[in-house]
Amino acid sequence: MIQALPPPPPAIIAPAPERSVGTVGQVRVAAAMTDARVMIDSSFRGASIVLYGAVFNPTDRPADVVVVVRGPDGPVRLVKKTRNMGFWLNSRPVLFEGAPGFYMTASTRPLSDIADFGQLRRLGVGVDHLRINAPQESRTVTRYGVRDVVVSRLGEDYLDYRRAVIRLREAAALYNTDPDGVEFVDAGLFRAEVELPAVAPTGQYFAEVWLFQDGEPVSVSNLTLTVEKVGIERDLYEFAHRRPWSYGVLVVLLAAFMGWAASRLFRRS
Amino acid sequence: MDIYLPIAEVSVNWPFLVLLGATVGFVSGLFGIGGGFLMAPILIFMGIPPSVAVASQASHVVASSTSGVISYTSQKAVDYRIGGVMALGGVVGALLGVELFRYLRLLGQADMAVAVSYLLFLGAIGTLMLYESLGQILRRVRGEVLPHRERRRPLWLYGLPLKMRFPRSGLYISAIPPFVLGGFAGVLSAIMGVGGGFILVPAMLYVLRMRAGVVVGTSLFQIIIVTAMTTVLQAGRNQTVDIILSTLLLVGGVVGAQYGARLSGRFRPDVLRAVLGLIVLLVGIQMGLELFVRPSDLFAFAPGVTE
Repeated sequence: MIQALPPPPPAIIAPAPERSVGTVGQVRVAAAMTDARVMIDSSFRGASIVLYGAVFNPTDRPADVVVVVRGPDGPVRLVKKTRNMGFWLNSRPVLFEGAPGFYMTASTRPLSDIADFGQLRRLGVGVDHLRINAPQESRTVTRYGVRDVVVSRLGEDYLDYRRAVIRLREAAALYNTDPDGVEFVDAGLFRAEVELPAVAPTGQYFAEVWLFQDGEPVSVSNLTLTVEKVGIERDLYEFAHRRPWSYGVLVVLLAAFMGWAASRLFRRS
Repeated sequence: MDIYLPIAEVSVNWPFLVLLGATVGFVSGLFGIGGGFLMAPILIFMGIPPSVAVASQASHVVASSTSGVISYTSQKAVDYRIGGVMALGGVVGALLGVELFRYLRLLGQADMAVAVSYLLFLGAIGTLMLYESLGQILRRVRGEVLPHRERRRPLWLYGLPLKMRFPRSGLYISAIPPFVLGGFAGVLSAIMGVGGGFILVPAMLYVLRMRAGVVVGTSLFQIIIVTAMTTVLQAGRNQTVDIILSTLLLVGGVVGAQYGARLSGRFRPDVLRAVLGLIVLLVGIQMGLELFVRPSDLFAFAPGVTE
């Protein structure tokens, strides 16, 4: 192989990032994260990423910042324990489709103070407004004066199940709501921390930074974050999934070898 | 001191895992059991997904049992002939067990099945062992003459076809009972992540009436074959074997098993059986408790969604 030549200097300097000049007079939010990639290696114990940004607010009306980070969606199965003849047994599992593997919101104030129920529901902001579907025979009805309550064959239990998904995920630090997680460090300059626990799923994460004014979303900035295994962690994971049988045989041989080696070692001493 | 496990996808304290492996290995060498029944509950308690815990510890059982069998072989305390028949049954049992476990996971009943099997099998075996060995210890302490043990085996053992000679065990019986016994242990190995030693040892002693000296070594031999099979099947079918987890466990396990096997000669067998019976009973009750106690959360995630 011929050593590749160093790339020629670019003929044209890439244009500088869009200036906010054109948007003077417009309320706008811009944000970035300290890391766009989270690498899971053998010392991974969770990660803490700082999301920072600026609010351009030429008006004199106050604005609120809401940060929403959601991890890759995946199906979730849930069982409910019921008491039968003195035993606690599992019900048949209920499948929820498309529950995010990670979900957090951080805001300057409690979400319910920032925007009304309908607005949050429409944008899907807040754990109470996550779209988690129980697919079988679901239909939408009006209940408790709220129009879109999804009822599946679970009937009224649906809400209990849904709450349980959120509660269990919150217990694992996978879902999180922080009503004062967005902190202004200077005028118009804010930061929020994204805490990924060690059990956070791998994949593509999407962050939305909303700017609300008078209960209306006025601007949004979208960011992405990749969580992936690297190095030996990735190699082992891929080996285990691509060639599962050879992997299994290798594990057994390794185990048998170590057993044999230990007994040799001990006999000598 | 933490390490991230690539398959289990959790971060754990690795010195603790090595220590856990050593402790369980020690118990395994001492009593001649795989020790899986002790480890699975602890791993699950640490937050490792049950399916990964059950599948990964099987290879720990392979290692500590290999190390144990080599020690017992040098003492001529392994009957490979009857062990082979049992292992054959065990392989068939493991195949059935892994499929059964997949099916139970799909039904969302895997944890129930694990709890019920722990309660039933460990509870019953533990009680029996404790009762029998305590009686023996009491008689010894009181200085009573031990009643001559009935050496006759159940008659049905002789009515079956396919008779084989097992000189080391002092047996001339049909191959069917050891085959079935091995098969049963194989099913349990897939569902409970155990080698099945706690079932095999008493059954070999009290039902087959094998020569006591070869029981432990032979059961360990059978356990190696069955758990090796289970590990490969779990890796191939369910991708739930974590090589880092199992390596950490078995580093401690092989060393612990050596010390355990060496020490086992120092204790009276009835005392050993009483202690083992107590441990087995306690673990069974602990695991079975979830069937009777109101859970703190009525809902739980059911694993087994194909990703």
